[in-house]
Amino acid sequence: MFERRLIFHVDWILLGALLLLAGIGLAMIYSTTYVVVGEAGHAGPQVRTQAYALVIGLFALLVLLAIDYRVLAENSLLLYGGLVALLLFVLFKGSTQFNATRWIAIGPFNLQPSEFGRIVIALILAMYFGENRRGARNLSDLAVGGLFTAVPLLLIARQPDLGTAVTLIPVSLGVAYLAGLRMRLLGVIALAAVLMAPVVWQFGLKDYQKTRITTFLNPEQDPRGDGYQQIQARITVGSGGLTGKGFMNGTQGQYKFLPVAHNDFIFSVLAEEKGFIGVLAALGLYLFIILRSLEAARLAKDRVGAYLVAGIVAGFSFQVIYNIAMSAGLAPVKGITLPLMSYGGSSLIATLASFGLILNVRMRRFTN
Amino acid sequence: MSTHFPPDDRRHLGTRLSVMQGAIAGTFALLAIGFWVFQVAQHQKFRTMAENNHLRRQPLPAPRGVVFDRHGVVLVENQYMYNIVLDRQQSHNIEGTLRVLAAATGVPEEALRETYERRRREPGYRPLVLVENATQAQVIATLARRSALPGVQPDSVPTRMYPGRDMAAHVFGYVSEVNQAQLARPEYEGIDAGARVGQSGVEQAYNRLLMGSDGDRAVVVNSLGREIAEVDRQEPLEGRRLQLTIDADVQRATEEGFRHLGYNGAAVMLDPQSGEILALVSLPAYDPTHFALGIDPATWRSLTTDKLRPLQNRALQGRYSPGSTFKIAVAVAALEEGVVTPEQRIFCPGGATFFGRFFKCWLDGGHGSVAMREALERSCNTYFYTVGNLLGVDRIHKWSAALGLGVASGIDLPNELQGLVPSTEWKQRVVKEKWYPGETISVSIGQGQVNVTPLSLAVMMMTVANGGTRHTPHLLKAVDEGEGWKPIAPPAPKSVVRMKPSTYDAVHEGLWMVVNRQGTGGRARIPGYNVAGKTGTSQVVSNQNKAAAARAGVDVRDHGWFVFFAPHDKPEIAGVIFAEHNEHGYLGAPIAKYAMETFFAKKDGRPLPTLQKPAAPVVAASTPAAPPGEGGNRQ
Repeated sequence: MFERRLIFHVDWILLGALLLLAGIGLAMIYSTTYVVVGEAGHAGPQVRTQAYALVIGLFALLVLLAIDYRVLAENSLLLYGGLVALLLFVLFKGSTQFNATRWIAIGPFNLQPSEFGRIVIALILAMYFGENRRGARNLSDLAVGGLFTAVPLLLIARQPDLGTAVTLIPVSLGVAYLAGLRMRLLGVIALAAVLMAPVVWQFGLKDYQKTRITTFLNPEQDPRGDGYQQIQARITVGSGGLTGKGFMNGTQGQYKFLPVAHNDFIFSVLAEEKGFIGVLAALGLYLFIILRSLEAARLAKDRVGAYLVAGIVAGFSFQVIYNIAMSAGLAPVKGITLPLMSYGGSSLIATLASFGLILNVRMRRFTN
Repeated sequence: MSTHFPPDDRRHLGTRLSVMQGAIAGTFALLAIGFWVFQVAQHQKFRTMAENNHLRRQPLPAPRGVVFDRHGVVLVENQYMYNIVLDRQQSHNIEGTLRVLAAATGVPEEALRETYERRRREPGYRPLVLVENATQAQVIATLARRSALPGVQPDSVPTRMYPGRDMAAHVFGYVSEVNQAQLARPEYEGIDAGARVGQSGVEQAYNRLLMGSDGDRAVVVNSLGREIAEVDRQEPLEGRRLQLTIDADVQRATEEGFRHLGYNGAAVMLDPQSGEILALVSLPAYDPTHFALGIDPATWRSLTTDKLRPLQNRALQGRYSPGSTFKIAVAVAALEEGVVTPEQRIFCPGGATFFGRFFKCWLDGGHGSVAMREALERSCNTYFYTVGNLLGVDRIHKWSAALGLGVASGIDLPNELQGLVPSTEWKQRVVKEKWYPGETISVSIGQGQVNVTPLSLAVMMMTVANGGTRHTPHLLKAVDEGEGWKPIAPPAPKSVVRMKPSTYDAVHEGLWMVVNRQGTGGRARIPGYNVAGKTGTSQVVSNQNKAAAARAGVDVRDHGWFVFFAPHDKPEIAGVIFAEHNEHGYLGAPIAKYAMETFFAKKDGRPLPTLQKPAAPVVAASTPAAPPGEGGNRQ
């Protein structure tokens, strides 16, 4: 199944960029979780966890690179069934932290199945639209695609983890768009979303979710509560200046003015300690990864491969853009982590695994 | 299964991929612009906000200078007390904070709010003091709830401590927060609201020296206001150490003497050769430590409304009729002006008539023929009526001033009041009337309009003792600016007159006889030390009004004076005892005796004396039979 010559078609540059960002993330996690004990100190336990996740993630990347993506796509219904089963398991038997039930305890590790939802959705939709000669032209195709997305989305939202749940939407839209979703239809969907918004606001959102949105629109209304994080995020980013305060010298992250800095706000810490220059470098790397990955879609030998890449990249891009905007206080605070950099084992493993698929598509562009 | 696209399909796909790439690249560009705005364009604003977030400047109040007596005994020092303070930058829910703090400390929430409202005008960087001098229990309770009390913390501050409690309270004065009126005055320039300054006594007079300069420190705090690290520290500079001329033992002995006999009053003792003040007493006193710890309203009310006026420094601010002690000034004036010679005798038949009116001597039968020495010894009114009449009021006024009466002494303490010795010019100016020579007769024995402060009588005794040099009484002996003690040059004398030796001898011997012969000062006699002195009585109410005043509840019993110096041939100590309502000057003499015994014992290296069980304090209204009194000198 795995031919030696395929090795030459691996996109080493993309892989290098991924590892570079993961390394920067690791350094930032080290900086924000450093435990000061008197004059000395030591790294926080999160650094080691993240390093383990990086190794496991690279292994997952290798696995998803080795198996032909067509094989995976053809079995996507099976994977989909497995995902739904795991999510159901989480709902009833999962472990609970911070008032949310998102994890399955496996020995000392907590696996977060929802992080793998994007891969499965990308695979099943790529398969569904790619094998359909018409592409995704009409409403019924779209409805089926929507249904595939909706089931895990609702299950994840129930945990509750709206942040991770909504990341499934750009994945499916990415696939659908490349599969030829008509612009007019996209317009209709957008219109429907706008019309539905008040209804969702009234009945679909919990109070804390509503406050998050209202405080985003007016952070000063509650500077010590929800708006606090947003104001602090801006202060963190803005005080970094052009060149930053230096590694581990950021005051906002180090003195915990920014909550969960190693997680949701890792990019703010980077901005504070490495300044605008560091921000440009990281943005450049992310943009490079995204554009380079989309090239893999262009080169793909079939529609399934192209759609798969588009779905994964769309989900990845959404997360990156949303999180970075949030880290500068430009978007409401939501639990959307920054892929590759944020602390979180499942997220890192799932992200690397999904790039295994992208490398897979590119590597097998000449095979039959 | 189709593995390859049709060409138009691929073209279509390529277009859509380009759109995706373009859209994402565009969004990234927008993000980069957003970061540029925050990080470059608005960097200054956010940098300041970040600093305000985590940097706090805290003042480090300087301890005031320690004050020593002339022999190195610590008179005033510092202790540390805990205040519970609020950092307003840290707390955003004042109401909640005050509620929790009230529960933790047991201080009523209303009181905390009142304190908060009163102090909120103070500069914002200065921690706002909510609870002054907190108990250990209050500090612990506050620390235990600090997660519910953002920005609240105990703050250790140096504060004044007076180990002698109320000893020499009026010398030291007290410290308390600078008030609004003071802040507006130029001498308080550079002092911030909330600072503690001397409000009277030495603490006020030498406030600038004692204050030192506050330091401060910058600390890094985390999001809970918890201190993480100190990044900058400016040590406070402790105030200058001062050495006073006070002798703690003499001071203590004098106060003990008063308490022992149950008198309030005042006393001043000084070195007649330099004007250095050895003891300065005003009773009743107060404990200045209470002010330093933040006096509570009840104590403050009781101090300010007390009829005995404990806050008044009687030695400098009490003005009383000098009575017979004034005869010393008249004696010096008469001898120096040559209206009598020391040996010239005047006959006292028990009074004399001047300007058609009979003035009584206090001794009904009269003293017979007396010269200056006996006149002083027996305090003969007739003799002094006669020489006073010969002198005229203006010459009495002139010599009084030379001896320090009716003028300010220039002591280095604030708010000294000036006594009065009338003159024709004074009467014309103030009363707008001509002086009647008959008035001079009363003035000659220290009555009429004459009034003096205890301090000015002490200055008179000093000047008489040293033969005419009116030194400026002063309290500051040396200052330690950090390089060891630097003696302070004594202030220049206020006036110098050279008394004729004959004057000097006559007055000194007369005053020696008061104590050592038949005079009224026998209770101050110290074998071997040749104490010279003079008693006097200060009428509280004139005889005519006495009954009415007594019915109104006024204490009409007279005050007693005893002025003294010793040894009379080479004086080393001079002073005054003023005992309120003790009726007879000689009853205050034991206080002077005890103080002088202490002074001489210390000087000669003998153990200090202790007070014997005294005769019961004499406060009865009737004249005791004992030494010849002088209650009869009133007309």
